[in-house]
Amino acid sequence: MSAVLLVGLKITDLSAWTALETGRRLLEPGHTLSRIAREQLLLFEPEPGGKAETFERTLGEAVRQSNFFVNPNKERYHFLTSSERGESWSPPDSAWGILTRVREDTRDDGLKARLLREHPMPGLGAIRRAKVWWLWSRGPDGTPAAPYFRETLGELRDQRHGLLVNPHAETAMLLHGATPWSRVDRFLIQPAPALRAAA
Amino acid sequence: MARVAVVQIPGVNCEYETARALEVVGLTARIVRWNEPASVWSEFDAYVIPGGFAFQDRIRAGAVAAKLPAVDRIAAEAERGKPVLGICNGAQVLVEAGLVPGLHPGRVEMALAPNRAPRREGYLCRWSWLGVTPGPGSSWYARNVRPGQVIPMPIAHGEGRFLTADPEVQERIEIEKMVLYRFVAPSGGRAVRYPFDPNGATLQAAGITNRAGNILAFMPHPERATWLRQVPLELKNAWGESRRAAVGNWEALEGPGPGRILFQSLASNLLSPSAEGARPGREARS
Repeated sequence: MSAVLLVGLKITDLSAWTALETGRRLLEPGHTLSRIAREQLLLFEPEPGGKAETFERTLGEAVRQSNFFVNPNKERYHFLTSSERGESWSPPDSAWGILTRVREDTRDDGLKARLLREHPMPGLGAIRRAKVWWLWSRGPDGTPAAPYFRETLGELRDQRHGLLVNPHAETAMLLHGATPWSRVDRFLIQPAPALRAAA
Repeated sequence: MARVAVVQIPGVNCEYETARALEVVGLTARIVRWNEPASVWSEFDAYVIPGGFAFQDRIRAGAVAAKLPAVDRIAAEAERGKPVLGICNGAQVLVEAGLVPGLHPGRVEMALAPNRAPRREGYLCRWSWLGVTPGPGSSWYARNVRPGQVIPMPIAHGEGRFLTADPEVQERIEIEKMVLYRFVAPSGGRAVRYPFDPNGATLQAAGITNRAGNILAFMPHPERATWLRQVPLELKNAWGESRRAAVGNWEALEGPGPGRILFQSLASNLLSPSAEGARPGREARS
């Protein structure tokens, strides 16, 4: 089990705002998009055979008491230890999400090296990166219509379809309802599926 | 006289020097705002989307601009055979809009991903070396390039790595010689590592065209190498020698730099007697 840090802006997120404005123009009548929010996700894995408990306390202090990960003037965060994160990840109220990662290796070795220089923490394995877009949407029937919105605003296919994910550089996973963390871990750790298989 | 629209999208920052580079090779450049009426776009004979940070690179570089109606209209003009050059951020817009490589027109078949080189990440601002592989875009964008010629040109990007997750696309762009410009070593040999391969692009691509060759997504900045005075003194090749020899000689410094070759190629086409003859009168189109 790994620890997780989610970081988002508490000031206005202009990228999310622009995604909202641009996304609305791609929708068919009857579909509404009321909000988009964006968070960065960092997954802290233990070394092979180790446990996250060995470094979580030091990591938690680095998150809370230094400005290494979070600028408290503009960002908010949720730090979840391996025991705190529980079995599944639930979206914010009424939202659903598109989790994206690069197609290549998600490990950020540069970030890990910088972190360990400032905050030594034995037992820390890889740090992996992803991004999540949270969407608050409604289809004509009043449901969130996540499949439609993912099709229209998720993976880019052409000028009219897709926005948030370029599938040639990134791959994506739907976060609808409670998603087991084990699925999220696999999504970040395993090689990205081939484009055609993903499609 | 051939007229070129330099598309001013909010956040681009190279439109004025791009317009000057076009003017110096004899073209008439006009900076055209992205929200001009639909009727304006067909008045031009060519289009350049310049470098910068359209919409602050929000979501991804080029992602928001690619959805603009202006890009739709430029795409329609390109279908009629008019040339479209995207420089740096402009290249990102063309790729995000599915115009390059355009094997299946309109379908997005590539990304311009963050630079990737060992122990390096982020934005790169430096001079690079380019070679040309003749292909469908040669007559529009590399007409005056000699075989084997190595062209120094500056790059300035964080997301300049042409990338496709579709092996068929990679195969087609290679077979059909759509990688017109590649990063090479100063000798002209293959760029196998940083700094000669600056961003890890597929096939060391610096500029990829569509199948017809009239649309070029080009990551370097030719407008920053259009005059000899823009060449750095320390550049280690004939261009550097010319630059050092020109110190104190304003007339020589105002002479052509290595990037002008791309604009000259475009101008050679647009100003050729056959192109001028084929161009309808402005009055008829306005």
